[in-house]
Amino acid sequence: MTFLHLARRNALRKPLRAVLLMVCIATAFLIYGLTTSFLAGAQGTSAASEDILGVTSAGGRTQALPMAALSPLAAIPEVAGVAYVTRVRGFVDVEKNVVAVSAADMARLMDVNGKSLGLTPALLSAMDMARDRVLVGRALADAQGWTVGQRVAVTAFDVAKQDGGRDWRFEIAGIFEGETASTDTYFMIARYDYVNAARARGRDTVDAFVVRPSAQVSPAVLAARIDARFANSASPTRTQSEKQFLEAFLRQYADVGLIVNLVVGAAFVTLLMIVVNTMIFAIRERTFEIGVLKTLGFSSVHIVTLILVETSFVFLFGGGIGLLLAWLAAQFAGPELGLVFSPAVLVKGAAIMVGLSLATGALPAIAALRIPVINAFRTR
Amino acid sequence: MTEAQDIYIQLESVSKAYRVAGQTLPIFSGLDLAIPKGDFVAVMGPSGSGKSTLLNMLAGIDRPDAGRVRIGTHSLDQMGEAARGSWRAHHMGIVFQFYNLLPMLNAAENVELPLLLKPLSARERRVRVERVLDLVGLAGRERQYPGMMSGGQQQRVGIARAIVADPGLLLCDEPTGDLDRASADDILEMLQTLNQVLGKTILMVTHDPQAARCAKRTLHLDKGVFVEEARAAE
Repeated sequence: MTFLHLARRNALRKPLRAVLLMVCIATAFLIYGLTTSFLAGAQGTSAASEDILGVTSAGGRTQALPMAALSPLAAIPEVAGVAYVTRVRGFVDVEKNVVAVSAADMARLMDVNGKSLGLTPALLSAMDMARDRVLVGRALADAQGWTVGQRVAVTAFDVAKQDGGRDWRFEIAGIFEGETASTDTYFMIARYDYVNAARARGRDTVDAFVVRPSAQVSPAVLAARIDARFANSASPTRTQSEKQFLEAFLRQYADVGLIVNLVVGAAFVTLLMIVVNTMIFAIRERTFEIGVLKTLGFSSVHIVTLILVETSFVFLFGGGIGLLLAWLAAQFAGPELGLVFSPAVLVKGAAIMVGLSLATGALPAIAALRIPVINAFRTR
Repeated sequence: MTEAQDIYIQLESVSKAYRVAGQTLPIFSGLDLAIPKGDFVAVMGPSGSGKSTLLNMLAGIDRPDAGRVRIGTHSLDQMGEAARGSWRAHHMGIVFQFYNLLPMLNAAENVELPLLLKPLSARERRVRVERVLDLVGLAGRERQYPGMMSGGQQQRVGIARAIVADPGLLLCDEPTGDLDRASADDILEMLQTLNQVLGKTILMVTHDPQAARCAKRTLHLDKGVFVEEARAAE
């Protein structure tokens, strides 16, 4: 027998209570794992670069920038490369099946952001063959069941064609995979010249420029320099990193990060109260036995260690199951959910587990320490 | 060897009082006691006479208000709680009236508990546990849990736990108080063996005159004072 063995026996002495506690903890960590995986994955912000800059209108995302801004932007010495993008949001077949199309100059996009999107020369060549061709991200292709060569129609919400229609028809030229599992690939890339020529309004404008800074300059410094360059122009700009850009974009709909943190926080506070309460009762039930252990010569350090190991056992077991379930959900969930159970999610979850187990064990441990042996024996 | 060196347990002018509901309740006032090494002493007396308080002070789980409690070369009244705990782990075994075994541990694990505090390998601990369980007549019952055992068997486990670390002193608090006569006689015989064969110094608090007769001498405590001493016939 070891101290660990003794702590484990204590933790499991009332199996039903231990199992219910573990289920409670597992549920909390399942919520944590799913929500943080969602935040890390579907939003694509975790994989978004802090180094690539997005230049939009200072008046807001709904205002376009003129294509004429491209030349002065590219002329800034610290700018290593510039791409431009116009977004077409719409749906396929039914309105709730929303998809996004980014219309871009393929060569420029390849130069600035090709690596993180997983674009290859072969994909670019495939796009050259016709103007209405698109590259579809892996997540979107899997979710829609699309294959290369298939023709798809996207009904735009806002971007009308010159003929008055809103149906944009494309042929799938290839599928891009994204650099990592957490790269957002739930969209497609069309040719800018095709969309620009066919749209009824806003011709020769872009929704954003994408800038790759040169190695000598920090992205933050360059962002400030770009905005200063256009501050007194007809189209003042707002420049952010790709990550900030995506996060701000998402915040238009909801502050997902704040919601996730509130949900996870509420789950953990509830968990903390339940487990602390249960552990205090469990230790109080054992006051007499703690007195016996002290009589046998177990020191305060031994008693505290036993209680902390006991709570850690319950937390690590329950929390481990919760994270395992979250990992399995991330593996088997459809790509449209975009769950990415990254190592960072695991490490943060493990750190929360250890922190919570020490926090919940501390109160009953202190209570046990304060019990004089004489008083402990009177509790029988 | 001088007479003073023979004394193993010594209480000098020990005073103790409790405060109950604002009232001071004196237990001892200037109590003296001397027990030589290898003795087997029974302490008898009516309820409230101070038997349990005496045992608690000798075990170092309670402290006197005044006076000295010395066991061997150690003054328990001078030690802090942690030092007294460590001292108990190495020098003293305690046998309780209600056995006080941990219900989620089996007999062998209960006996092994005090050995977790010693720098012994798992194999050494197992050998010692098997040896003492054999000594108390429980060989083959190592895996039984307290709830599966009779009172007498549980008390044997309690005694095995008290002696497994090989302490010089055994304090027994009504060790037969919860047992039938036959089981009690077995336990008393075992304590006599531990005293006579292994040389353990034993102090036993009891209400049972038959149990007291197993000791080498019996002290009667009344209102915090030893009023009578009887020695067993040689």
